[in-house]
Amino acid sequence: MTTRSILLGTALGLTLGGSALADVKIGSLYPFSGPLALLGEESARGLDLAVDQINAAGGLHGEQIVLERGDAVDNNQAIGEARRLISLEGVKAVFGTYSSSRVIAASQVTELAGIPYFELGAVADEVTGRGMTYLFRTNPTAEHMGIAVIDMLVDQIAPAAGKAPEDLKIGIIYEDSSYGTSVAGHEVAHAKERGLNVVLKSGYPANIVDMSSLVLDLKGKGVDVVLQTSYQNDTVLFLQQANEAGYKPMAIIGGGGGYSMQPTADAVGADVIDGIYDVDFTQYAINPDFTPGIETFLEAYRAKYGQEPRSGHSLTNYVGALAVLQAIGEGEGFEPDQIVASVKAMDIPDGSTAAGYGVKFDDTNQNERARMMGMQWQDGKLLTVYPSDAAVAEIRLPD
Amino acid sequence: MTTFLQILLNGLMLGGLFAIVSIGLTLIFGIIKVVNFAHGEFLMGGMFITWLITTQMGLHPYAAVIVVVPVLFVMGALTQRLLIQPLMSARDDHIQIFATVGLSTALINLALLIFGADIANTPPHGLRAPLEFGDLRLLSGQLMIFGAAIVLVVGLELFLKYSQTGRAIRAVAQNRGAAELMGINVNHIYVLTFGLGAACVGLAAVLIAPLYPTSSNIGTYFVLTAFVVVVLGGLGSIPGAFLGALIIGEVDALSGYYIGSDLREAVVFGLFLLILILRPSGLFGARQNLSHLS
Repeated sequence: MTTRSILLGTALGLTLGGSALADVKIGSLYPFSGPLALLGEESARGLDLAVDQINAAGGLHGEQIVLERGDAVDNNQAIGEARRLISLEGVKAVFGTYSSSRVIAASQVTELAGIPYFELGAVADEVTGRGMTYLFRTNPTAEHMGIAVIDMLVDQIAPAAGKAPEDLKIGIIYEDSSYGTSVAGHEVAHAKERGLNVVLKSGYPANIVDMSSLVLDLKGKGVDVVLQTSYQNDTVLFLQQANEAGYKPMAIIGGGGGYSMQPTADAVGADVIDGIYDVDFTQYAINPDFTPGIETFLEAYRAKYGQEPRSGHSLTNYVGALAVLQAIGEGEGFEPDQIVASVKAMDIPDGSTAAGYGVKFDDTNQNERARMMGMQWQDGKLLTVYPSDAAVAEIRLPD
Repeated sequence: MTTFLQILLNGLMLGGLFAIVSIGLTLIFGIIKVVNFAHGEFLMGGMFITWLITTQMGLHPYAAVIVVVPVLFVMGALTQRLLIQPLMSARDDHIQIFATVGLSTALINLALLIFGADIANTPPHGLRAPLEFGDLRLLSGQLMIFGAAIVLVVGLELFLKYSQTGRAIRAVAQNRGAAELMGINVNHIYVLTFGLGAACVGLAAVLIAPLYPTSSNIGTYFVLTAFVVVVLGGLGSIPGAFLGALIIGEVDALSGYYIGSDLREAVVFGLFLLILILRPSGLFGARQNLSHLS
C-alpha cells in the first residue's frame, strides 16, 4: 500500500467515522505483562497492524475500530479482563490471546455472554472442539505441527538424504505439559500412518536442568531423527548437551517455541544450530509469491515499531485478524449472530494471505486451511524449506 | 559399561551443581531458621549480573565474582535487616516464609521489567569445551563447579569451627538467648549470616551462568531440587547438603536413563517424601533443628 492510499484511506475513514454514531470497540486480550509478555506483546502487534489497515481503508461499516486492551497475565485475570471488556467497555468481539490456557479460561466468559471470540495464536487442541458457538480459531494448531513435522521428514528430508523413511529410527522427546504432550501425540499417530519406526518416546518436565541421560538414551538406541517439542530453555539444553556428548543424528526437527528464536541460536552457537529443522508458524524468510501481502505487513511493522518483527507471532495474528475483520465488514453488522454468520461464510483460498494458507472454518470453528511451515537454520538464518512452493532454500544435509 | 560410567559421571557433576546452589540455603536455615524462598531469585540476580559484566566489559565470566559475591552479600544482609528482622518477633514463624515468597515474586517481576522475558546468554569462554577421559566426557565448567563446591564446603566448615565470628555464629544457632548473654550481638550475626548465605549463591551464579541460559524464572529450575537436597542432608548441615546433593544428582541421572526422563522428578520427590517419613532430620541433621519449627 502506498503512503498516498493510506492517507486517502485515513481521510475517508475519518469522514465516515465522524458521521457514524460511534466507533466500534473490539477487545485485544493478550498477556501484556508477566512471563508471557514478550510474545504476548509481539502477537498483539499483529492485531494492531490489521486494525490500522482496516481503519485506514475506511473502517467497518463506516465505523472506526477502537481496540480496548485487556491484560491476561494469568488465567484468573484473563477471565476478569474478559468480563470487563464485555460489561464495561461494551466490545463487540474479543481478539487474542497467544496462550492456550488463557483463551480456554476467558472464552467461557465470552461464550456465556454470547460475544464472538477470535483466537489468533494459541495452539492447544482443546481450544476449539469444545462445542462453543462463538469461539473461532484462525491459526494452525498442535495437530498441524505434528503433521507438518512428519510430512517434512517423509516427503523432503529422507529423500534428500537418500534414505527410505521407514528405515529411519525416530525418537520423539517433548516437554510434558499439554503443549508438548499433544504435539508428540500427533507426531506418533501421524508417524504410524506414514509407516515410520518410532523407537523412543519420552517426555520431560520443562524445568529440567540436565538432559544428559536422555541424550545417552537416544544415542544408545541409535536414533537417526530426533523430534523435539519444547520451550526455549529445554531447546538450548538439549542442543548443547547433544553436541557436547558428540551425538549427531541425521536430523533434529524442533517444534516451535525455542527453535524459531534468534536468542536460541545465539545461545547454542551458529555452528551447533546449523542444519537443524524447525516447524512453526510462518516466519519471514519465505517466498513472497507464496505469502502475498507479507511485504506490506513488514513495511507497516517497521514503520510503526521501528524494528524487525521478533517472531512469526505478529504475522500470524495479523493474518487471522485481517481475515476476520474483512469478513465482518462484508457482513450485515456487529450483532453477535451477524458476526458469526459473516465469518462462517468466509472462504479465502490457500496462497492468498501473508501467512501462505487460506481461511475457512470447519464445524468446530477451527480454520481448516491453517498449516505450519518447515524451516532450517542455515548460516545463522532460519530459512523456509517446506513446502517447496514456500521455500527460499533447498534442504541442506549435514556433512 | 561406558554408558553406565558416563551416567555416574553426569550424576556426580549434577550433584556438584545442586550442592553449590544448596549450601547458602542450608547455612541460612541452620543459623536463622528461616527458609529463604527467594534463594533461587538471588541465584537469578547473580546470573544476570554475571551476564552483564561478561557481555558489557568482555571479561571472563569468572571475573564477575569480584562484583557478584559482594553485591549478593549486601542483598542478603539487607533482606535480613529490612524484611526478616522486623518479622523475627512475629508470633508466627510462617510470616517469615511468606515474606520470602513475596520477595521471590517481586524479584522475578523486577527481572522481567529490567531484562524482559527473553533469555540472556553469558559467553562460555571455553567453559563449555568437553574434556575427554577415554570415552567419558564432561565440561570444564562442570568440573569447576564441582571443585568450587568442595572448597566452599571445607572453607565454610573451617570458618564456622575456628574463627571467632564462626564460633559466634554457631553459638547463636545453638542458643540465641545464651549467646546474647555472652555479649554477642545476635541481630548482627543474623544479618552477617544471611549475607554469607546469599554470597554463597552469588558464587554459584557466577559458575552456573556460562553453562545455562539466564532468564527471569531460572531460579525456580534449581531451587526446588535445592530444597530436597537441604532436607535430605539435614536442615542446616553444610556437609549434609553436599552429600545430599551428590545423592540427588546420581538418583536424577540414573532414574533419567533407566526409568525415563518423564519420571525422574517423580523419583526425586518420591525420595523426598520417603526421607521426610523415615528420617525427618535428614542424614546429618540434629533433631533440635526441627523441634524449633514445631
